[in-house]
Amino acid sequence: MSQENVKTVDTARPVKRDEMSKWQWTWKEIKRNKTAYFMVAPFCILFIVFTVLPVFLSIILSLTDFNMLQFPPNFKGIDNYTRLFLEDEIFMLAIQNTLIFAAVTGPVSYIMSLLVAWFVNELPPKVRAVVTLVFYAPSISGQVYLIWKTLFSSDSYGWANATLMKLGFITDPILWFEDAAYVMPLCIVVALWTSLGTAFLSFIAGFQTIDRSMYEAAAVDGIKNRWQELWFITLPTMRPQMMFGAVLSITSSFGFGAVVDALCGYPSVDYAAHTIMHHLSDYGGQRYELGYASAIAVVLFVIMYGSNILVKNALSKVGE
Amino acid sequence: MKRTLFQKVVCLILSVTFILATFTVGASAGQYKEASTSSTLEEMKALVGTSSYAEYIEDYAEFVNPDGLVSKFIDVTNFIENNGDAYITVDSPYYLEALENNASAWGGFGDNANSSVYLTTINNDKKASSVSWNFTVTNEEVGLYFLKIEYYNCQTSESSVSAIQRKLLIDGKIPFSEVSSLTLDKHWSYNNYSDSEPTEAPAGATVGTTVTYEYIPADVVKGTRGHYNKYVTEVYSDAASGKLMQVVTTYTIEQDINGNSMAPLAEESSEWSTYICADKAGYTEGNFKFYLAEGTHTITLEAEREPVIIKSIEFVPAEDGGSDVISYRDYLELHSGKSAAGGSITVIEAEFPDSVSDASVSASNDNTSAITYPIAPNAQLFNVIGETGYDAIGQWATYKFTVNQSGMYNLSMRYKQNALQGMFICRSFKLAGGEYGLNGTPTSPFKEAENARFDYDSNWQSTKISGYVQKYDEAGNPVYDGNGNPVKEKTDYQFYFEAGVEYTLHVECALGDLKEHIQKVESTLANLNEAYLKIIQYTGADADANQDYMFEKQLPGVLVTLIKEAINLTEIADELERECGTNGAHISTLDTVARLLNTMGKNYGKEIAANLSTFKSYLGTLGTWINSSKQGTMMVDSICIVPVNTTEQIPYASANFFQSIWFEICSFIYSFFTDYNQMGVTSLPEEGVHSIDVWLASGRDQSQIWRSMLDAEGGFTDRYGTAVSLKLVTGGTLLPSILSGKGPDVYLGFGAAEVINYAIREAIIGVSGNDPYLTDEQNAVFSNYIYKDASGKTYKYAEPLSDADAAAQGLTLVSNKFEAAIDGQFAPAAMKTLTIYSPLNEGKENADVTYGIPMTMGFPMMFYRMDILAELNQEVPETWDQLLEILPVLQANNMDIGVTYVLALDFMMYQMGGSMWKYTDQSKYDSKWAGAKIDLDSDIALEAFDFVCRLYTDYSFPVSFDIANRFRTGEMPITVGDYATVYNTLVIYATDISGLWEFSSIPGSFDKDTGAYNYDSLATVTATIILRSCLDGGDQDLLPSWQFTQWQTSADVQSNYGNRIVALIGPAAKYETANINAIEDLSWTANEKAAIRNQMDHLDAIVNYPGSYIYARYMKFAFLDVYNEGAKPHDAMMDYIDAINSEISRKREEFGLPSLDKNASAPTKG
Repeated sequence: MSQENVKTVDTARPVKRDEMSKWQWTWKEIKRNKTAYFMVAPFCILFIVFTVLPVFLSIILSLTDFNMLQFPPNFKGIDNYTRLFLEDEIFMLAIQNTLIFAAVTGPVSYIMSLLVAWFVNELPPKVRAVVTLVFYAPSISGQVYLIWKTLFSSDSYGWANATLMKLGFITDPILWFEDAAYVMPLCIVVALWTSLGTAFLSFIAGFQTIDRSMYEAAAVDGIKNRWQELWFITLPTMRPQMMFGAVLSITSSFGFGAVVDALCGYPSVDYAAHTIMHHLSDYGGQRYELGYASAIAVVLFVIMYGSNILVKNALSKVGE
Repeated sequence: MKRTLFQKVVCLILSVTFILATFTVGASAGQYKEASTSSTLEEMKALVGTSSYAEYIEDYAEFVNPDGLVSKFIDVTNFIENNGDAYITVDSPYYLEALENNASAWGGFGDNANSSVYLTTINNDKKASSVSWNFTVTNEEVGLYFLKIEYYNCQTSESSVSAIQRKLLIDGKIPFSEVSSLTLDKHWSYNNYSDSEPTEAPAGATVGTTVTYEYIPADVVKGTRGHYNKYVTEVYSDAASGKLMQVVTTYTIEQDINGNSMAPLAEESSEWSTYICADKAGYTEGNFKFYLAEGTHTITLEAEREPVIIKSIEFVPAEDGGSDVISYRDYLELHSGKSAAGGSITVIEAEFPDSVSDASVSASNDNTSAITYPIAPNAQLFNVIGETGYDAIGQWATYKFTVNQSGMYNLSMRYKQNALQGMFICRSFKLAGGEYGLNGTPTSPFKEAENARFDYDSNWQSTKISGYVQKYDEAGNPVYDGNGNPVKEKTDYQFYFEAGVEYTLHVECALGDLKEHIQKVESTLANLNEAYLKIIQYTGADADANQDYMFEKQLPGVLVTLIKEAINLTEIADELERECGTNGAHISTLDTVARLLNTMGKNYGKEIAANLSTFKSYLGTLGTWINSSKQGTMMVDSICIVPVNTTEQIPYASANFFQSIWFEICSFIYSFFTDYNQMGVTSLPEEGVHSIDVWLASGRDQSQIWRSMLDAEGGFTDRYGTAVSLKLVTGGTLLPSILSGKGPDVYLGFGAAEVINYAIREAIIGVSGNDPYLTDEQNAVFSNYIYKDASGKTYKYAEPLSDADAAAQGLTLVSNKFEAAIDGQFAPAAMKTLTIYSPLNEGKENADVTYGIPMTMGFPMMFYRMDILAELNQEVPETWDQLLEILPVLQANNMDIGVTYVLALDFMMYQMGGSMWKYTDQSKYDSKWAGAKIDLDSDIALEAFDFVCRLYTDYSFPVSFDIANRFRTGEMPITVGDYATVYNTLVIYATDISGLWEFSSIPGSFDKDTGAYNYDSLATVTATIILRSCLDGGDQDLLPSWQFTQWQTSADVQSNYGNRIVALIGPAAKYETANINAIEDLSWTANEKAAIRNQMDHLDAIVNYPGSYIYARYMKFAFLDVYNEGAKPHDAMMDYIDAINSEISRKREEFGLPSLDKNASAPTKG
């Protein structure tokens, strides 16, 4: 607590901190700062009702056999989890796919965002605005990834097929999005293409906020090249933006699902691009097993949370 | 070496299969399918080989009719028919029955019953009716004639909403392609008017008719609903009293409780009309001429759609009836003495037509301009006519008006034409009354009025009706420009109207000045299509850009075509550009295509192969260009009769800035308060009045039609006394609503797979009277006939009462028992998909519960291009063996067969006698075992799977394709797809091939079990279901919900709905009703009906037993393994069997159904 706060309490009624229980003290503080609490209330209420509560609910539901139509569900203990880890081969496949997917797209899109943002930042302001839009556009244009469907259409008139056939590489059209060999790589490419999103914007904003005098000071202190400047000045100053970008990258690479559905159909051939998200909607949407789906969601939540912590630790090493 | 050996083996296998296949065809010829509904090769050739009218009339170009020719009448009562094709009207069973039902509809029929002939649509042999007449032409009578038919658009049990269509044959042959389908229009009018009693006219009134309009908004305080009225006040002097009297006729457009306009019902009005055979497509000017040579002839009318009564067939000598319409110059000359009229403008609100050609020509809403009358920011009021439904060539609406002063008038129109960018569209203005018209039928006052032009603008316009008229110099000679083209100038047309005369203004969609341009593009497209087919027949669809095809040697004609058509297109584009003054996006399309053609034609060595697929897509673009140019899409707010000397302004085109901005702000604010679920609701259920909740997830048009059918006289509410609250919801709403306990009572159109999913989780009520969760009392609703007496008390009977008994006891039937409700109305396959064993019924006699009544049912059928098959000299295949026989011919021409593997995998297995599930045979197994295991590992299923895989691997069927596009270009002349979906797509998308395709049953396979060919297709069903939330708050909703379900799925209601949706949206809105009896009354042609019925007799369905989601994905995986990785079909499928079975068992255990281990099988009965 700051000096000031204590002082105001003293003038109102001299009470010592240790005269009160912890709860009494908290309550007193709340009453004193009620305007502030009132201000954050709308967000807090919405956040708790629509984000925190569902997380807890799904943890509870994951212990039941809830089927979305019949209420109340039966309590099943950890049955769902044992089935998930011990019996469900497809879940293992889904975890594998998700990790491959996240391991490739997460870091690559993150580094790509960072590098592109760095380059773009070097451009004159007007050009920068245009270039930023060009890079950012795919991620805000909704279902624009569907052009990949035209590009890699299974029809012999699809662009990729038509070109390959014309050049004589193939004689029959390849079913790009229905062939287990191509599904995963293609989805990764599409994911990267759409990934220059909010993280990219926050990086650009981050670059803008850096105080130019720091670079001058650093030059005086003996920075030798742009790489050192980036590593020792730019990135450490931008740590909050980088954390924000990392969280976004991770969530989006783990939560990647809709694009695969739209491109490869559902489920993808031989579960080749079946991620945890797909497994979740398979059980939740198609099989009406919300209890089991909740268990999957909880596992996904834990994985995401874990990787966030990892990234946080990694980022704290930046500039050292 | 190895490879050649492999090829040899494959060849050997293939040839053996072929030999065997032909063998089996021969062996089973005895048990062939009943009647084939597809056209024979002869028929297709006849149709395709018919010449056009231009070619036909060229032969008689020099012929001049001798003087003194008179009309040649054919005695219609002296007809030749086989079996029920036609009746003298008075003898026709349909006529008698129709008179009994609705004698008022036959008001104008007069004494014609003995002298007219009723032509049926389907004869007693279940074939399209065909009636002929013989007549003799003597030497003196040889000549060119128009064909005139007097007909009556009768309303009988055979009728539906379509226009009357007949195929015309003379001497057993279609004389020219344009008359292969004659269309006789029906008349439609609205029933939304009422006449007042004659009252004394107010002081100052003068004799005559005045028209006023009034928009009355809803009154929230009084709780009254709004109206939009047109009042026609007729003042006349009463002979008896000598006083001025008036009668007010009120036409009303009603509003729902939120103030949105509701469509008034267009009703067919039966009338005698005269049809003169002319070009429906609008290309040929004037009427068709027929050359009658000396000798005896036969004229035949073959039914396509709708019954009709005809009174006379007359051949009118071509000169007489064909008096040419005078030019505008002559018209003005004729009225040169008439003065310009003065006084005030008469405004006609276009949304109140007096009569229309189609039910789809109807009022609609536009909120894009604040000054369109009437308008409200919080509701959708009908304030314009068009823009959809009033855009096809030949569609018209008529308006009646009178003027106060005799003299010359302009016409003006406030309209919005923003469909054809940079182009104009045309309307033809015709008049009746006074000096105009022929027997009350409107005719053109002068030639130029047939192509009044309406230019493109993205905003509203308000202009006088004008067109381009030949310019004359002072000496009266036509003026030509340097190139010899006539100089035309824009002129506002003037019309002469006499005071006090009632005129009828007839506004018709026409091609007008666009006619020639479109015709040219059409012939270009036909030539290019041919060129394209020739190229791909030579190179294949995937031409190699690096290969030298030597086009100049192989296809020199094609190169010439390409360059010639490029020049043609450029010329057309230039001409259009000159006429329109701008080069909009629409016109520049032609330039783009021309550029490509030019490149391909000139630099053929490289560019043809490289641009083949672009070329193909451009062919589609041209087709679309023609379609959209033909559509005269525009919205009309009002038409004004403008005295030439008036001081008044014609209506403004657009609102001023402040009006617009205020309207936008109001609209925006109101958008937060509008309840879009309540669209079309006319009354909220009053408190105490019983109502049921019905939800449907479809479009607004669909929901409005249901709403009006519920509220109509004799509709559901009227008949059963239960109000219905109908809500339009989005697709996924049902699940959360059930979970939160706010579900509806009845839901319309729920997919069969979901029905089973919800049913096994207790969310749906079984309607077969044995739902284990219902009490006996509740189940009795479904297992008894329920009667009501006058006081509303209900009585249940296991058997229906005879009519006499019921009448004696004062009882009326209010609901049927389940068996009677479905009896013969639905395909067994459809019922199967809604039925599943309930474990709680264990031990009962009938443990299978049916959850809902089928509402729609779709199934795949085969579509084929008649022209291409005729050209290749191939019959329509009826079996897969025949299809594979003609495949080499198709493939030699680089054509394919379009069937998706997902469809083929399923129906092939059922056709070969297999089944998706094991233990479904109820004679061998208890129904509790049905679906306990997948049957994909049976010999038949594996054989079918192997066969389908071979279709795609060995026979190179394409796996992925765009049906509509390839069918249109002719690359895929045979395709299999859901009948209504493909039909609806082709009707809209491929108008350039209309009449060149047909559909029939899907090809059959040899079923080893029965030793015969099996033509089964697989049905996809949606159902009307009663939710368990119906029981919330007691049992009182159960019976009304069951009544509603029966009412909604009954044949009458289904056919009525199907016809209304077609009337409202157009021919591409064909509805796939599940009710077999309803098909009869829907607007399919006689042949199409026969084909659909035939396929309905050959239907099966896959039941969605618990865990059913799992087989489709693994079948797909197995197929793709074979196709992509070359796995053996047998192994690929067997790999997944265990995974499928274990998921099924797991799912069955979840619902307390008996399940089986991997190697176990179900016990047989007994």
